[in-house]
Amino acid sequence: MGKQVTEMLKGTLEGIVLAILSGRAAYGYEITAWLRDQGFSDIAEGTVYALLVRIEQRGLVDVEKVPSEKGPPRKVYSLNAQGREYLEEFWRTWSFLSERLEQLREGGE
Amino acid sequence: MAAGPIERKKRFRRLVEIVTGPFEDKRRYREYKARTERLPKSYHTAIEALHRYMLYFGPGKADSLLRMLEDLADLFEQSAANGTPIREVVGEDPVEFAETFLRNYPEGQWIGRERERLSSAIDRAARDET
Repeated sequence: MGKQVTEMLKGTLEGIVLAILSGRAAYGYEITAWLRDQGFSDIAEGTVYALLVRIEQRGLVDVEKVPSEKGPPRKVYSLNAQGREYLEEFWRTWSFLSERLEQLREGGE
Repeated sequence: MAAGPIERKKRFRRLVEIVTGPFEDKRRYREYKARTERLPKSYHTAIEALHRYMLYFGPGKADSLLRMLEDLADLFEQSAANGTPIREVVGEDPVEFAETFLRNYPEGQWIGRERERLSSAIDRAARDET
């Protein structure tokens, strides 16, 4: 994965993770694994974890500690009402941005 | 009314803690250290290096500092349990990871005070302009 996509991902990773969690609850490792499967192969586990800590601090997700067979209990994250609202705002912002970029590419306004 | 033995003990403890800092913080710190020592060698080396960096740039308040270290230990324990290689935990650029992680604990970071100072200086400059 090139430098450019890493830079672009920085601004959108939060929205991406919230979108993943809107489908179903997940723990950090699952989210990173999914992103890697989707071709974001350079994404660091720690980066996703730092983001999860942040969205938890901001009250966008609910967290449940679930025991695991191997290792410490896992923190399972699920999107709450505030998180859903935030995600909607993310999609509106995303639409705005992608429409403008598309216009630029087509040489329009 | 004379203070009961528990009340006296609490008061004594408060007096001692003025000199030594809270015992609770020390206990949390020792627990964190013990957790890092139980990690496999490569994870231990990595967390020590991150810890060192984060002491320079991290929060100045004991509680946020401990919260940060505990969160870091959570990540490394989880990664060790999953067998995630160190490179995949911290990424290609460990400084970048450390900075992203540090932004979650802004309380009492000296750089935070400097950022505020910069912003308010520019606010004043912009106000004077009008």
